[in-house]
Amino acid sequence: MKPLPASLRFIERDWLSSNQIVGIDGERATIVDTGYATRAATTVDLVTRALAGTGATPARIVNTHLHSDHCGGNRALVDAFGCTITIPEASADVVAQWDESRLSFAATGQHCPRFACDATIRPGDTLRLGGLDWNVHAAPGHDPDSVILHCERERLLISADALWETGFGIVFPEIDGESGFDEQHAVLDLIERLGVERVLPGHGALFDDVHGALARARARLESMRSDPQRHARHALKVLVKFMLLDVARIREDALHERAHAAVVMRSAARQAGMDYAQALKWATDSLVGQGLLRREGVELVDV
Amino acid sequence: MTSPQRRDERGAAASTASPVASPCISVCRIEPASGLCEGCLRTIDEIAGWGTLSDDARRKVWDAIDERRAQRAARPQAGSDVRAAGRHR
Repeated sequence: MKPLPASLRFIERDWLSSNQIVGIDGERATIVDTGYATRAATTVDLVTRALAGTGATPARIVNTHLHSDHCGGNRALVDAFGCTITIPEASADVVAQWDESRLSFAATGQHCPRFACDATIRPGDTLRLGGLDWNVHAAPGHDPDSVILHCERERLLISADALWETGFGIVFPEIDGESGFDEQHAVLDLIERLGVERVLPGHGALFDDVHGALARARARLESMRSDPQRHARHALKVLVKFMLLDVARIREDALHERAHAAVVMRSAARQAGMDYAQALKWATDSLVGQGLLRREGVELVDV
Repeated sequence: MTSPQRRDERGAAASTASPVASPCISVCRIEPASGLCEGCLRTIDEIAGWGTLSDDARRKVWDAIDERRAQRAARPQAGSDVRAAGRHR
């Protein structure tokens, strides 16, 4: 596998925390996406180690979109390094007001410490990161305000949750009864047109088989589009599993309480044609059946 | 905590799959005493560098993890232990 440019680092995390892309510009480093809040201490440590010996410290955070697994480490990184925060312009108001009803965190049964935005980027902008120019493109689908970053010169794409090696993130607008599948389809077409040779995704390994990933993503999108109830059921499972990745173990009744205010999960249940309690039970049973969770008495345990 | 079977499956898959799967099991907490992640038993450098390691280098990390796990299994544990039941976060 050919190495990344020396000015870039790719920190692979997991499905609770997004990956971090680190770009070094002299003494200033930019961190793209910051993982989940409860793992923020480790994110700070990883970023510190990734920059060891470079003479650079984190000066700026860039968030591709405001999901808890991508901006949850913002506050901890600001506390540790005093860096600024750059977010998509479309999200600026909701962050300035910290309007919990419009932010995604509580709605998905997740949380994120409050942060302030210092600068914004919008589609059409060019961002300088790691000595390279990155074009900012809108990537609605998974999230209406998400952006992806394309370096034409090195043919690299920071793809957030628009494209992973084996799929892409839940198309949340569809769960809310808004258009999202068409947008996700258009983003996959955009990625194909951009001429990308390596993807630095929001989750999972970086990869060079862009053609294969696009083919898999398109097939997955078509199957979701043809059966929106299936997409809704998948969303429920993803969000329940996410909770368990965070807490490791939880009483089943406590999970139901924790999910009580998660309006996106309620919408998913409604879309899947299930009453909420029934839907949560179905999701946990299904995850247990797949060996992704385990039951121990009244507790659910992450596997 | 991750069941021993699941860890072993991923470890076994590490020998044949490409790219070699990440050892992360979403604990993501570095034990101060050992400098290892309590969940996956990697050093912070191994975690930070994983994203761009070759498959061969990743397999070596998996080998190191297996050795660390075996060393822990062989000694009595006083403090935190990746095998401890009732892991809490």
